[in-house]
Amino acid sequence: MASSSQFKQLEKLGNGTYATVYKGLNKTTGVYVALKEVKLDSEEGTPSTAIREISLMKELRHDNIVRLYDVIHTENKLTLVFEFMDNDLKKYMDSRTVGNAPQGLETNLVKYFEWQLLRGVAFCHENRILHRDLKPQNLLINNKGQLKLGDFGLARAYGIPVNTFSSEVVTLWYRAPDVLMGSRTYSTSIDIWSCGCILAEMITGKPLFPGSNDEEQLNMIFETMGTPTERTWPGVSTLPKYNAQFKQHLPKDLRAILQSQTQGTIDPVVMDLLYALLQLNPDSRITAGQALNHSWFAEYYQ
Amino acid sequence: MTNTPTPSGSVDATKVQPIQRVSDDDLYRHSSQYRMWSFTPEQLAQKRVEINARAATVLETRVRSFLEQNPDLGSDEVAAITEKAVPVTADEEVLLVNYFARMLLTFATKMNLPTEVAATAVTFFRRFYLNNSVMDIVPKEIFYTTLFFACKSENFFIGIDSFAKKTKSKNEDVLKYEFRLLESLQFTLMNHHPFKALHGFFLDIQNILQGKVDLNYMGQVYTNCKKTIMEAILTDVVYFYSPPQITLAALLKEDEALAMRYLDLKFANEDSPGVLHLETLRTVIVACKDTMSANAVPSKEQATRTVAKIHFGQNPLSVVERMRRQRESASPP
Repeated sequence: MASSSQFKQLEKLGNGTYATVYKGLNKTTGVYVALKEVKLDSEEGTPSTAIREISLMKELRHDNIVRLYDVIHTENKLTLVFEFMDNDLKKYMDSRTVGNAPQGLETNLVKYFEWQLLRGVAFCHENRILHRDLKPQNLLINNKGQLKLGDFGLARAYGIPVNTFSSEVVTLWYRAPDVLMGSRTYSTSIDIWSCGCILAEMITGKPLFPGSNDEEQLNMIFETMGTPTERTWPGVSTLPKYNAQFKQHLPKDLRAILQSQTQGTIDPVVMDLLYALLQLNPDSRITAGQALNHSWFAEYYQ
Repeated sequence: MTNTPTPSGSVDATKVQPIQRVSDDDLYRHSSQYRMWSFTPEQLAQKRVEINARAATVLETRVRSFLEQNPDLGSDEVAAITEKAVPVTADEEVLLVNYFARMLLTFATKMNLPTEVAATAVTFFRRFYLNNSVMDIVPKEIFYTTLFFACKSENFFIGIDSFAKKTKSKNEDVLKYEFRLLESLQFTLMNHHPFKALHGFFLDIQNILQGKVDLNYMGQVYTNCKKTIMEAILTDVVYFYSPPQITLAALLKEDEALAMRYLDLKFANEDSPGVLHLETLRTVIVACKDTMSANAVPSKEQATRTVAKIHFGQNPLSVVERMRRQRESASPP
């Protein structure tokens, strides 16, 4: 059991969903850690978000998931001691902007990051855990090129069937169309959509669907992917927020759109994977395990 | 066409599998429930003896120093303290914990909490006393804490105010030992109760024994198995066996013929029998069933006696006060 005096608190790294994160130094070992400080609400005790995160992180031991080392209790706060990562994908991509122009990452790096992202997600899903908030800010990276999933504050374990989740999860830009239309029966496919959005963003350096509200978000998705119909997505019209008056769009050529935003040539093989991740109908989206078997990743499994 | 282009050949089954197929058993072995909360009967017994011995030493030291600090006590009073202010035994601890665990279950049911929340509360409560002695923290002090914490941990939201009102307790008492609980649970909060396995097995039984079982009867078996599993959660089988093993043991207890017919067919149908042989499995679940049935239900009298014993041990003075009170009421002025 570690005590708080064992760690020296350094600079602030950012704000998580429910806590402030600092860089810390383990004075005994000289190892850097991330200290996630949770204010203890004297009213309700330990916040359930913290309990949820601790609960999940203690089960998930994987190379592509950030490790929770310890939990420390001081008078009015709880500190979660995590493995330290140098950077997150959002900051990393921001740092590569030239002037005002975002830059995509090199193809090899995009592939390596996406591979690791899907490995982490596959592991969560095998353990019946949904992350529900995948976005570049929550993907932690280090200078060895490793990528790990962090911030499980919104994650939760699911049994079968999953049908009582709130639809208010996942930052808008990475939120799946079924969730945007109020589906409450979503499952692992919710994380897969996010993996698709993140893949596109790594290629161009720009968020794929940067909507500012639910309506705009859906419209942006439909503009590119086409407006779904009962024929392309059986059952879509029964979703709570489905609107027969949705603006009708034909699917556009996603590759051409992405290609216009980046200099390197986009491989048709990655487009095949991207389309599989970004299927509007959640039932048609591939699973993380299947995605890892995609031929784009052939070099990692041959 | 408003069709989204569909990926072609994105998933090719003939391709090399980069990811090793992970079995559910492998997953379970990675769980904290298996890694940290599964023991052999010997390990468990030793753990309990150690916890008890540690707290007993503390208590005895405290009683000795109380006697040293109170040299003016009468010899009969010293004798009473030496007799009454003694540590409880490891066996008494287990019985007391199980007594309160059962109360916790009854209470959770009365509060209409979901099965999983009730089961988690019981599990947390019992695990707490694998790292603490009832002489350190008496069950009453952690009773509602566990229940409230289980609600949070299982995503069943109840605000502290309404919880305290429903349990007729004070907010600060509910929260007082919350961190101690979290710490004693070694921050592992994810539980795999056998109810999910039960659900899975029942779907599979209906599949394997299609047309050979009456669905109404199966419904009855399901309900009874669920009750048996609730009972099992109060016993040490949760430390010795995996959730599916416990489920099969419950099924065996309910209808042995059905259980065996299912397993026979299941193993006959299995393309690759794998490492597990039916005989091995049968031995394991029979042993599990026997352990489940052998569990003694502690009586209220036993529990009351142990609680009183803890009280005297923690407050030697109360032994003396009790004697004096008895003496006064025996000889009125």
